[in-house]
Amino acid sequence: MRVWIDKEKCVGSATCTIIAPNVFDINEDGQAVVANNEAEGINDINKSADNCPVQAIVIEKK
Amino acid sequence: MQIQDNLMDPSVISDPYTYFAEIRTNDPVHWSDDFGGWIVTRYEDVAFAFQDQTRFSAERVTPSRKASEKKKKELASTYNVLSHWMVFNDPPKHTRLRLLVNKAFTPSAVEKIKPRIVEISNELLDEMANNEKADIIKDYAYALPILVISEMLGLPKNDRDKIKKWSDDLMLLVFGAVDVPDRHEKAQKSLQEMYDYLHDIASKRRENPQDDLISAIAFAGDGGDKLTTDEIISTCSLLVFGGHETTTNLIANGMMSLLTHPQAYKELKDNPSLISSAVEEFLRYEGPSKAMIRIAKEDLELGGKKIKQNERLLLVQASANRDPAKFTKPDKLDITRHPNQHLGFGRGIHYCLGAPLARVEGEIAIKQLIQRFPQMTLEDVQIEWQPTIINRALKRLPVTLRGTSS
Ligand code: HEM
Repeated sequence: MRVWIDKEKCVGSATCTIIAPNVFDINEDGQAVVANNEAEGINDINKSADNCPVQAIVIEKK
Repeated sequence: MQIQDNLMDPSVISDPYTYFAEIRTNDPVHWSDDFGGWIVTRYEDVAFAFQDQTRFSAERVTPSRKASEKKKKELASTYNVLSHWMVFNDPPKHTRLRLLVNKAFTPSAVEKIKPRIVEISNELLDEMANNEKADIIKDYAYALPILVISEMLGLPKNDRDKIKKWSDDLMLLVFGAVDVPDRHEKAQKSLQEMYDYLHDIASKRRENPQDDLISAIAFAGDGGDKLTTDEIISTCSLLVFGGHETTTNLIANGMMSLLTHPQAYKELKDNPSLISSAVEEFLRYEGPSKAMIRIAKEDLELGGKKIKQNERLLLVQASANRDPAKFTKPDKLDITRHPNQHLGFGRGIHYCLGAPLARVEGEIAIKQLIQRFPQMTLEDVQIEWQPTIINRALKRLPVTLRGTSS
């Protein structure tokens, strides 16, 4: 599985960093980044993706 | 270079874009005595301030600078309700309030209520079809969002006129319509009535929960992080209110843009699948939210200016969205524009909670309106905008539904 943020869509609402703080972070441009690709917790990643107001979290299942 | 210092000047109200472009070019972070704060006009600076919630506070509900002590006392209860609106709070309170209602407004949640929005739109269109002429605002754009949010919350159908009136009166206060002299009193009275009304319904739902948003909010955080009664009611009022006027203006401003740009209008009629990029373009080109206020939490620098702690900043979305440094041909309406990272819904942690809903409402409303009345034309009357600093709102949008027969 690979998780990434669509920079064109991300508006920095920080919803994902609140739901899954061990996976996502906000960079200095105010946008989300995947800070820890190794992090556990697919549930929190899915929940973040579902709660994102602009659907900027992309989850690629391999 | 002397910049005219009156944000409410009729020329600025009718065409804010030219005025703010002048500031953006000559003095992009500009002190205004009239506003009593800084006018921030460049895309980069506006986005930056929205995103940096540690230095730019959203806690900005204080009575008008000009209000007397007596008046301030009278308004205390109004400001008490507003003080629990997430949009006027910084973390951690903001985070808590937002997370508890976020689920109901996600794109996937909104997807499920699309069919109901289509039905509501059709009902309104059926009624309009009885006449030759219509005011798009009064007869359509105004009713749709309030019907949708009332239904989501689970408020009784019969109460809608009441809710509309309260929402209107409160709007006078929040959007700063300074030409209405008794706006504070009106807002105060309506907010109190709305508070009592929502309080009553929320208590009923706690005894007898239904499958609606007000029940969900009434029980939100019962596990641990409980909302207080004031917070529950305030949050409901924010949803009624936040989801109403702005969406009305998205539909109206969007239609207005189409009716005055025949080529774009035709393009959309020929290719309805452009509706979603068209709505993004309306949010950029003629967005309902012209500007938002922030307070500097500390001394800081923005666009080369020294901003002092506690000074106010007006983040002008209407200017950022027309900044040539960000958008090619910013003053051109292009319904196929891509990318389109407009700031119409703000940015950062306060990014509009209702954006997914507003987008869907705007898309359905405009698409259906065009499909039903493809010959619609604008009536030949003076276009008037509401005199507010914060909002881009038409007073009326009069149209002939089946075109002119001549
Ligand atoms: C086209 C329509 C809309 C526009 C242009 C709009 C615009 C905005 C903007 C610019 C903000 C950011 C405020 C700030 O940064 O201080 C905001 C926040 C908010 N909006 Fe909207 N809005 C619209 C529709 C809606 C709808 C339909 C709802 C809900 C039913 C809604 C609920 C909210 C809420 C609750 C917030 C506060 C979010 C927070 O503080 O975290 N809005 N909106």
